[in-house]
Amino acid sequence: MKRFLVLAFIFSILFTTSCDALTGLTGSSLKIGLVTDVGGLNDKSFNALANTGRLDAAKDFGVQTSVIESKKQEDYVPNLTTFAQQNYDLVIGVGFLMTNSVWKVAKQFPNIKFAIIDGAPADDAGKTENLTNVANLFFKEQEAGYLVGVIAATMAKDKVGKATHNTVCSMGGIPIPPVDHYIAGYQDAIKTISPTTTILNGYSNDFVDQAKGKEIGLNHISKNCDILFQVAGGSGLGYIAAAKEKGVYAIGVDADQIDAAPGTIITSALKRVNKAVYNTVKAVKDKAYKAGDNFFSVANDGIGYGKTDAIVPANAKAAADQALADIKSGKITPKDTVQVKG
Amino acid sequence: MNIEVLIGAGVLAATLRLATPIALAALGGVVTERSGVTNIALEGCMLMGAFFAIFAADKTGSLPVAIVVGIIAGVALAALHALASITFRADQIVSGMALNILALGLTSYLDYELYGTTGTPASLPGVPTVDLGFLSAIPVLGGALGHQSSILWVTFLLVIVLELFLFRTVPGLRLRAVGEHPRAAETVGIDVRRTRYWAVLASGALAALGGVYLSMAVAGSFTDGMTNGKGFIGLAAMIFGRWKPVGALVASLIFGYGDALSVSLQGVSIGDLRIPVQLLSTIPYVLTILAVAGFVGRSRAPAADGLPYESEGH
Amino acid sequence: MPVISVLVALFVGAIFVLISGHNPIRAYAALILGAFGSPYDISETLVIAVPLTLAGLSVAVAFRTGLFNIGAQGQLLVGALGAGWTGSQFPDLPGILLLPMTLISGVLAGAAYGAIAGWLKAARGVNEVITTIMQNYIVVFVMHWLLQDGPMSAPNASGTPASSPIGAGAILPIIIPNELVPLSRLHAGIVLAVLAVVLFWFLLWRTSLGYELRAVGLGALAAAQAGIDPKRRMVLVMAIAGGFAGLAGMIQVSGLFHRVFDGFSSGFGFDAIAVALLGKNSPIGITLAAILFAAFARGGTLMQANAGISSHLVEVIEALVLFVIAAETIVRAIAGRRGPAQALA
Repeated sequence: MKRFLVLAFIFSILFTTSCDALTGLTGSSLKIGLVTDVGGLNDKSFNALANTGRLDAAKDFGVQTSVIESKKQEDYVPNLTTFAQQNYDLVIGVGFLMTNSVWKVAKQFPNIKFAIIDGAPADDAGKTENLTNVANLFFKEQEAGYLVGVIAATMAKDKVGKATHNTVCSMGGIPIPPVDHYIAGYQDAIKTISPTTTILNGYSNDFVDQAKGKEIGLNHISKNCDILFQVAGGSGLGYIAAAKEKGVYAIGVDADQIDAAPGTIITSALKRVNKAVYNTVKAVKDKAYKAGDNFFSVANDGIGYGKTDAIVPANAKAAADQALADIKSGKITPKDTVQVKG
Repeated sequence: MNIEVLIGAGVLAATLRLATPIALAALGGVVTERSGVTNIALEGCMLMGAFFAIFAADKTGSLPVAIVVGIIAGVALAALHALASITFRADQIVSGMALNILALGLTSYLDYELYGTTGTPASLPGVPTVDLGFLSAIPVLGGALGHQSSILWVTFLLVIVLELFLFRTVPGLRLRAVGEHPRAAETVGIDVRRTRYWAVLASGALAALGGVYLSMAVAGSFTDGMTNGKGFIGLAAMIFGRWKPVGALVASLIFGYGDALSVSLQGVSIGDLRIPVQLLSTIPYVLTILAVAGFVGRSRAPAADGLPYESEGH
Repeated sequence: MPVISVLVALFVGAIFVLISGHNPIRAYAALILGAFGSPYDISETLVIAVPLTLAGLSVAVAFRTGLFNIGAQGQLLVGALGAGWTGSQFPDLPGILLLPMTLISGVLAGAAYGAIAGWLKAARGVNEVITTIMQNYIVVFVMHWLLQDGPMSAPNASGTPASSPIGAGAILPIIIPNELVPLSRLHAGIVLAVLAVVLFWFLLWRTSLGYELRAVGLGALAAAQAGIDPKRRMVLVMAIAGGFAGLAGMIQVSGLFHRVFDGFSSGFGFDAIAVALLGKNSPIGITLAAILFAAFARGGTLMQANAGISSHLVEVIEALVLFVIAAETIVRAIAGRRGPAQALA
């Protein structure tokens, strides 16, 4: 009997606070919600970057914000719906896997604003349908790949430092467009600037397994690769570890990864997802939200290349800066299909 | 396609590297299941070892401390499993699975809180490799063994030690007795519960060492869930190896070889045909099934494995 | 008393929540409300519970025979691929034909995958733990290939690796009218799941086959005394187990996604093992355990959104509760549930 009373007491407390929990964020400032894909917030890739953007925006604009990490694809719709039902001012979905889910939920909540990173709403048949309450944040990853490819090609051609074998390589997680665009741009730059350079490519089929990434890295290095470009999130860190172990060079991706392996990482291919999120939040705040396609490229500083290591010679940086200017002006359009599949 | 891709020194070296964490988990499995306790939480113990070694290395800058802390973390998780399985006679599978989820949640949480924005630090002490330059005279094998992590050699040593311990010493015999006929063991004076506790704790330590290897020797960093199922592959290797340390090692090597092939065959074409990269990744798993089906056949677990024990007079 | 130990687990979890700087009462309120607080939440909890129950049945039916089916996840995915293929190959067929075809494809595909493990054990003595663990991984990679740029991949606006959509006839309709629960995703799969639970019960307790299976599960000696040869039934049991899981996969395709997405439905088969064991391999128990897991998943979402709790802390709390429930089960005499020892023999 006593146990029952204790239980009843506890449950009554829980339920009297129910209203509080149900409303979640209260207050008059904007509410920004982020729904990650199954990679989670610590994916060393675009979920993490989106989160950074969200937190920066929260700090600078005083908005309230929450994040939900999706554990499986079935969760995308209910996670987005949870924010929409609570009248969030902006609900951001991360990743190309969410395009159909955002389409569904955005249609059900036409008064809520959404944003998708790396995609546009897709109907049940897979066809893109732009909606007036969804901002499609697209990134031209091939431009970032091109820029770092310029640096790699210049160093390979001039045999800078340890890069003596005139061979460069890359490793993707899985062969999906956001990954392959990077690799395509990278290979395009190398073929353009240094056609004699050997190009290798591989995939770890995974975004988490570092051991696998390292093995592919060691394999590429045994084939004389000196500059390893990782496009594989957590698994890519293993690829970088291989470069570090063998004393050659690596290139990071998405965020500036130069501090992850100083002396090994020579630069990074930047995809400023954080900036895109930040700017979208700002747009909502300033009532300048633009639905439909929003491209982030070198033109609006959404794409770039990261801090360079001391070993990178001045002519490589100059070439990269020139390429950046050329892409901006339209003189160069980096390819977005992978040529050396590996 | 050149034959190097299949049996060159590079592939064999990779085999050893990839097999190490699996072998350590498998050894842990052997020890605990031989005593009669199923420890599915080996994956979790590996993950605990992987994270806490990095954490300790970050805070102290000392490799030995990092390894010890990692092992202790794995043992701590195993202790919970021992408590549930041995003292409370809980369902060992559920307990093991719950602890795996706990380890994943805890390490991911701490990883995010401590290293979320910056990533784990770059300049952590590395695990020394053992350079056997003189072996390079031996073709193929010399290259495979010449430059491997010290933890790999420790693993080889552990295999020998455990094989001898289990099958050539009295304490080892006692442990096996506890796993086969606990009641009979108790009547001749063996403390079943204490033996099992030790076995489970030891399995946690072994698995944790596998995790330490992954984070400190292979990656030099920690990423959420980085063990990626290796603890479970280790359990499969344990069964494949008939619950014997040497067998577990052989099984791990077979799996590691398949894994190494899935890397070395990338980009290789046989004539005009190239195996898609995704299918290459299935090689270790298919190879393991074929190996067991073809060569190993029936295997038997210790008779009292997985069953909680109630001693007389309780 | 299990309730007390669950409260202990929640209390420990509350300490974690406090240390992380959040309010435990808000957190737990969010957990309960997220799972059951509104008709929409209940509907979402059921959406998760449905495939989980089926996967749990898959694991349980094997356990009852003393076999350890770790492969429910792989069988689920194979079933999804089978169902997705059939559904998308004949998109113009009417529902009266296409839906049963899709269902049968999913079930048979899963059953075939399970049967492989059963056959390997019966004919070559390969431990099903090994086979099913390996099979889980194999199908994941095969799926990558099929859907990323292989034979089943569909041309897609955003480059999402997925199959072509299934025809309208293969879709399991939403059974809750929009006026009652707006936005509900609860589809007719729940009916299939209920039927499957009944089938499970009927099979094991009302047929001679079921009697045989349970006898084998209780001990090879008992079975031999009853004149039953365990090997004969292994393939059949693993096929049945695979069929249940395949049905789960088919339901995810037909009821939720309407096509096969690369990497979907991860984790069901794994959680199903705990669901089957917590539910003591019995029909009601499995259903309740599945609902418990689903409640955590659903409630966890609101904990993140409203109480700011990290999803990993939610996992920790879930693990603590599970762990404590496991430790609580002192009663060992579970009908039909054998230790892995005999299962591995």
